[in-house]
Amino acid sequence: MRKGIGMSAPSILSLREVTIRFGGLTAVSGLNLEIGESELVGLIGPNGAGKTTAFNLITGVYAPTEGEIRFAGRPVTAKRPHDLTKLGIARTFQNIRLFSSLTVFDNVRAATQLHRSHGVRMALWRGAAFAAAEAEVERGVMELLEIFDLGRVRDEIATSLPYGDQRRLEIVRALATQPKLLLLDEPAAGMNPTEKAELMRLIRFIKERFKISIMLVEHDMKVVMGICERIAVLEYGKKIGEGTPGEIRKDPKVIAAYLGTE
Amino acid sequence: MFSRSPLSLPTACQGAKRWLIAAVLCSILLSFGQFNRYYLGVAMDVGINIILAVSLNLINGYTGQFSLGHAGFMAVGAYTAAKFSLVFAVAAPEPARPVLFLVALVLGGAVAALSGLAVGIPSLRLKGDYLAIVTLGFGEIIRVIVQNLEAVGAASGLKGIPKYTTLGWTFALASVTVYVVVSLVNSTYGRGFIAVKDDEVAASSMGINPVRYKVTAFVVGAFFAGIAGGLYAHHKQFLAPTGFDFLKSIDIVVMVILGGMGRTASVALAAVVLTLLPEVLRPVSEYRMILYALLIIGLMMARPQGLFAFGRRAVK
Repeated sequence: MRKGIGMSAPSILSLREVTIRFGGLTAVSGLNLEIGESELVGLIGPNGAGKTTAFNLITGVYAPTEGEIRFAGRPVTAKRPHDLTKLGIARTFQNIRLFSSLTVFDNVRAATQLHRSHGVRMALWRGAAFAAAEAEVERGVMELLEIFDLGRVRDEIATSLPYGDQRRLEIVRALATQPKLLLLDEPAAGMNPTEKAELMRLIRFIKERFKISIMLVEHDMKVVMGICERIAVLEYGKKIGEGTPGEIRKDPKVIAAYLGTE
Repeated sequence: MFSRSPLSLPTACQGAKRWLIAAVLCSILLSFGQFNRYYLGVAMDVGINIILAVSLNLINGYTGQFSLGHAGFMAVGAYTAAKFSLVFAVAAPEPARPVLFLVALVLGGAVAALSGLAVGIPSLRLKGDYLAIVTLGFGEIIRVIVQNLEAVGAASGLKGIPKYTTLGWTFALASVTVYVVVSLVNSTYGRGFIAVKDDEVAASSMGINPVRYKVTAFVVGAFFAGIAGGLYAHHKQFLAPTGFDFLKSIDIVVMVILGGMGRTASVALAAVVLTLLPEVLRPVSEYRMILYALLIIGLMMARPQGLFAFGRRAVK
């Protein structure tokens, strides 16, 4: 599990020649991408470059028209989102999507579904085994909430929290599924510089503490350049560059995509 | 910080079953009471409507699926249980009858649950209004089938059903319904129903299979609607297809909305109020539907969260 960081690590996710077309529009075209174990990868690109589409392909929201996606060594092309979560892919959303009628605690609790042993029968019988399993769930959820300083608001309605806390809660909820790969869709959207700095600390912390791979789609260059070990750049659905933040900063193609050419 | 033991999960688990046993015992004691026939009849209507409203609340309230087919499920249960009793129970010796009645009710529930599965699986690709229309269509299909089926009396109705339903049966089964719905929802498993209602995309990203939850809600909801149908059949002793038209479904939906979607206690309370209301208004009973309409309009404007929705906003 706990291998070294960087390109040499075995890849947890790999996209081979992944293409998706919506009618005549090719949103993502021949995308190749590898994410190593415990690696922090950024996916950037101008508006409409296909970043979120790529994200939705990885998480099973869309099925690719062509190409193959492999996760942890097995093909997962066109698997449904909840099956992918079972295999270890968790995500957050660009526009926060918390469960709005549930408390902070229950939002995270709902995401522990996969790892509980009890279902309908135990819930109805309510025996000692059920109580023990629920106590275990509660302990796990509270531990997660405490790590991220959300334990104090456990009984608040999730959507009544301040914006920054909601973003954090969404990440906590994703972590409760015990993922191997965490996908963050524009986590810095709508944040001020202080919150962004806080977010960067948080992402680094998650990677260290949970030893998972993280991929983020982000607009904010400072955030991406600041934390990512490797960056892939998309433009018009095609990957136009990939490398360390230093390499990406100097890549003429990337500069052209962002600033235009003479 | 989290030493709030009254709210902790294991404690909440253990109390529930004791409550259920107490409620069922009380219900059975009720059977030995002597009541005025009219009040007895109304009380059984109340119990049956609690079962209908609480079970529909699992589908419409907690899981957020708009079903207009509850009267259809009820009809399936009512006719199945009634036919079973007419064939087997009437000829059986006296002591075997309560057992056969229970079998009839469970059979009615089971057949209704199967029809819930049959409606659920194909139609759950649909959302909101579309699903409402499909379930509405299902209810009408059931009614039309029953209306043309000679074996269950067709349009002239099914007569001579034995009167087995008592206050005890009604409230014992209402308690079971409440227990099942509350226990299901108040568990880590059950948070999935609400998650699906709140945001299906987010729920499936959290490893929750939305289709599975929706089908479960439909099957469990239909099962208890079927039980309610069986009780109704052995209470009224006569079944007419017109009693299960879509207005009946609307009645149940109104109870759920009036109570406040996704609150079992409030929905049960709304079922009580809405059953008693027409009785209180008996002198002006032809205005009952107008009153219903006015109630819903008033509610939508004044209390969109439900008439009896007080205090905590979190779903419990």
